[in-house]
Amino acid sequence: MQGGSSGIGYGLKYQARCISDVKADTDHTSFITGTLSLREENEVHLIRLSSGGTELICEGLFSHPNEIWDLASCPFDQRIFSTVFSTGESYGAAIWQIPELYGQLNSPQLEQIASLDAHVGKINCVLWWPSGRHDKLISIDDENLLLWSLDCLKKVAQVQSKESAGMLHYLSSGAWDPHDVNAVAATCESSVQFWDLRTMKKANSIEHAHIRKANYDVKKKHMLVTAEDESGIHVWDLRKPKIPVKELPGHMHWTWAVTCNPEYDGLILSAGTDSTVNLWLAPTSASDESTSGSIAESPTQQADPLLNSYSDYEDSVYGLAWSSREPWIFASLSYDGRVVVESIKPFLSRK
Amino acid sequence: MGTDDVPLDDKAKRMRDLLSSFYSPDPSSTPNASSKHGALDAINTNSFNADQYMNLLVQKSNLEALLQRHVEMAAEIKNLDTDLQMLVYENYNKFISATDAIKRMKSNIVGMEANMEQLLDKIMSVQSRSDGVNTSLFEKREHIEKLHRTRNLLRKVQFIYDLPARLGKCIKSEAYADAVKFYTGAMPIFKAYGDSSFQDCKRASEEAVAIIVKNLQRKLFSDSESIQARAEAAVLLKQLDFPVDSLKAKLLEKLEQSLGDLQLKTDELENVTVESTDPSKQGKVSDSIRSTPHEASVREFAEAICAYRVIFPDSEKQLITLAQDLVIKHFEMTEQYVKRRISSANLLGVLRTIWTDVLLMDEILCEAVLPDFSLEAAQVAVKQYVASTFTHLLQDISDALLKVNISPKEAAEEFPLQVALEASKKAVLQGSMDVLLDFRQLLDDDLGLLVKLRDFIIDWVQEGFQDFFRALDDRFLLLSGKNNSSSQDNGLTEGTQSEKVLAGLVLVLAQLSVFIEQTAIPRITEEIAASFSGGGVRGYENGPAFVPGEICRIFRSAGEKLLHHYINMSTQRVSTLLRKRFTTPNWVKHKEPREVHMFVDLFLQELEAVGSEVKQILPQGLLRKHRRSDSNGSTTSSRSNPLRDDKMSRSNTHRGRSQLLETHLAKLFKQKVEIFTKVEYTQESVVTTIVKLCLKSLQEFVRLQTFNRSGFQQIQLDIQFLRTPLKETVEDEAAIDFLLDEVIVAASERCLDPIPLEPPILDRLIQAKLAKSKEQNPIAS
Repeated sequence: MQGGSSGIGYGLKYQARCISDVKADTDHTSFITGTLSLREENEVHLIRLSSGGTELICEGLFSHPNEIWDLASCPFDQRIFSTVFSTGESYGAAIWQIPELYGQLNSPQLEQIASLDAHVGKINCVLWWPSGRHDKLISIDDENLLLWSLDCLKKVAQVQSKESAGMLHYLSSGAWDPHDVNAVAATCESSVQFWDLRTMKKANSIEHAHIRKANYDVKKKHMLVTAEDESGIHVWDLRKPKIPVKELPGHMHWTWAVTCNPEYDGLILSAGTDSTVNLWLAPTSASDESTSGSIAESPTQQADPLLNSYSDYEDSVYGLAWSSREPWIFASLSYDGRVVVESIKPFLSRK
Repeated sequence: MGTDDVPLDDKAKRMRDLLSSFYSPDPSSTPNASSKHGALDAINTNSFNADQYMNLLVQKSNLEALLQRHVEMAAEIKNLDTDLQMLVYENYNKFISATDAIKRMKSNIVGMEANMEQLLDKIMSVQSRSDGVNTSLFEKREHIEKLHRTRNLLRKVQFIYDLPARLGKCIKSEAYADAVKFYTGAMPIFKAYGDSSFQDCKRASEEAVAIIVKNLQRKLFSDSESIQARAEAAVLLKQLDFPVDSLKAKLLEKLEQSLGDLQLKTDELENVTVESTDPSKQGKVSDSIRSTPHEASVREFAEAICAYRVIFPDSEKQLITLAQDLVIKHFEMTEQYVKRRISSANLLGVLRTIWTDVLLMDEILCEAVLPDFSLEAAQVAVKQYVASTFTHLLQDISDALLKVNISPKEAAEEFPLQVALEASKKAVLQGSMDVLLDFRQLLDDDLGLLVKLRDFIIDWVQEGFQDFFRALDDRFLLLSGKNNSSSQDNGLTEGTQSEKVLAGLVLVLAQLSVFIEQTAIPRITEEIAASFSGGGVRGYENGPAFVPGEICRIFRSAGEKLLHHYINMSTQRVSTLLRKRFTTPNWVKHKEPREVHMFVDLFLQELEAVGSEVKQILPQGLLRKHRRSDSNGSTTSSRSNPLRDDKMSRSNTHRGRSQLLETHLAKLFKQKVEIFTKVEYTQESVVTTIVKLCLKSLQEFVRLQTFNRSGFQQIQLDIQFLRTPLKETVEDEAAIDFLLDEVIVAASERCLDPIPLEPPILDRLIQAKLAKSKEQNPIAS
């Protein structure tokens, strides 16, 4: 495990939790991130990796009215993104548009397209369908799952349907199936719930405690990766939700975020509160050996699934995003507001 | 031109016919080969047609060619004429010489007739004389022949009339062989004339033969008769056309029956063995004494088989199966026996008995290759024995471990975990040693059977250990609930009570793994090297079956995993506690702190439980750090002081950003505190790790909330209260201090209005809490 000073750093002014790949920007590798400061004026940073890949350039800096708890870039329009924010006492979510000609303005203001203001409780995240243009949005708060229909031109967002997760199910996060526009996974305290958006009903669930984040495998259908606080990372095949296909040990402390590489099969990135980002290689197709679930190492078992551990962080890492344009590049964001972009190219050859 | 040729043609044709009829072997075969094909070269064939030829010649040739042809043909004709003349001449010569020969013959044949007549006369006289002799001797010869026939007949009649008496005599003198010979000799006559002239005789002799048969049968079945005699009897019976096969079958049945009896005896013997070897070690002596009845019966059986074999020489195959049946039954018994829990002494006893039996049988029936056969069977049995021994050992160990689950509820022992650990340690080490000792006995015995199996046994024992430890590792994981199947119903859904016990068990398992790696494996390796080296039936390329290095590695990693699992389980419990604490209240509308929140007590309780578990199992760390108990009171770490001052003064300025900057700066200048260090197998290390992880979780939970001033102050108060007891339990004070500070920093960062409590109020609330807890359980303090 190397110390990993290979990454390219970029400092935000304040603490931050979320970073997102600007997928719609096909010309540049760029990320968007927002700060989380309760008492200061928060900012949204649009960061671009220079063409040489050696430095991160601030492409845009916009002030955001509240601290940002979640941020997601629109997969079909690079100027649109969503945020979930908090005033300290209440929560809100909105769709924003980066103003045109922002390069010429001194202090460009974000243009609010729509406010997703049908929530009461704590909003957790806003989801875009990751695979392309889709006029629907999902927002998840503690108790409800809301489906919005968004019209960017008319700048309106309307609640299309709303469903409660049920008593005592506190939703924490979610993921939209890139293979199925009608399937959404929502994590709650004791399970992952799978929702069918056509009927707004729970279709299925994986009972497993304290799942924090879930992420669908973009390449492989039915594969879901989950990160749990204490018990690491699990890879699930949704067709057999009883037993995980694979278990990875995760982090020394909580495993906060996990994300599958959009291009290379079996490459999983996880971020943890032990201030590390781990790169795992966990091919699921090759062998089903972990159906037995035992982590006992037989002497012939394959090598350590942990390819590398990036530990050059000062604080817990909450934000993690692969670049979809250059899938060997990922951005990570630690709580102290440091964005680090790393390339996994040295590890690709090992595959 | 045609007319010119006619006489020549006629003449030539006649000549040719004559010649060809004379010379050609088969003149009829070519007479009418068609004359149609009038080729020019057809002139030499039988079917030559001169007209055609001419026509053809005239048509085809010009004058010159015709002329030339004419010349040629004239020459050819001349040639033919001369040839003809030559032939006629030669024939004439032959004819003349033939006439000469005939003349000579005629003159020679004239004197022969007289000689022939003389010869005839002489032959006639010879014949008449021989006829005279024949007639004169004929009568006498005829008479002699008749006399001779009569005599033979009379003798036979005499014999048959004498037969019954003679048979009776034979019976009396037990000369059955002669009797049978006589009877079989008389048989054809009886067959021919038995119904008429010799009726009485036949009946009498048949009666006698019946007696003979009866006697012979009796003789055959009586064990007292000599084998020779019995064999003879069998042969005689066979000669008498008695159905021998049924006899054979009957005898075989008898043998099988005795085999069954033998089996029963073995069983009894085994029972006796079990009983007698238990009290004392004299088993060996008493074994040999007690085995005599069994041995005798086996000997008897062997003799019977031997006899049978002599009697029925063609019955080997049946006997071999019979003997093999015996061995198979023996070993079936042994396998049953092995399934019960027995010591190798008992096994040895049984094997020894079997082996003597086998040797006995082998003397008699070496074709059965019984030693080899029983060797194979013994191989299976011993292998099974080894396997079952290891299974029992595994069961013992897990039983010892599972006692943890039962004991704390029933017998409130003081240190259930420790007891379990000691018991299981003993089970592992003592059990393995006993097993090895047991196997040693097998090896040291000089029983022929086992000597041959020695190499196999060594390999099996080594393999057995290898497999045993693998199985043990699996069992550990199973017990620890790491397996998916069990983890979901054990670890998570069951109540806290069983979870607690399970956590302790995991710790015991972890420590046991270390013990196995560091103590048990070396001991066992030593022992194996001392008495189980060699082997080598497995090819060398496979290496030795027992690979202590690999086992050590397995258990080292298992130990680490289990320890981590234990830590995880403990932190998970605290996590649930913290989660409840932080998700339930509305922190933004928190009321002013009045007392230390009770979650602190629960937290400390959990830690205490962990501490007590750990204390039972793990050793103390060697480097017991110097404890600054005197400075514990209400200290705050040097690092948190400036922070707090800063926080106090921040209300009038707008320096949130600089505050962040400062914390960053502080971090830069402060040595980075290693929160996640490697866990060691010591009480302090484990507890410290758990506390660290819990505090980190606490920090993360705090970061997810937004606090008002009172909420922040509550956190501050709780953390301040935790500071002292935590530092007492923990090795790495600096790290704990750092983490506690981090929690407060996190809270202040997430606070809308971070004004900390005044130190005096803080102190007062803490003192109140201390006093209260002292009041509640004075014994504990």
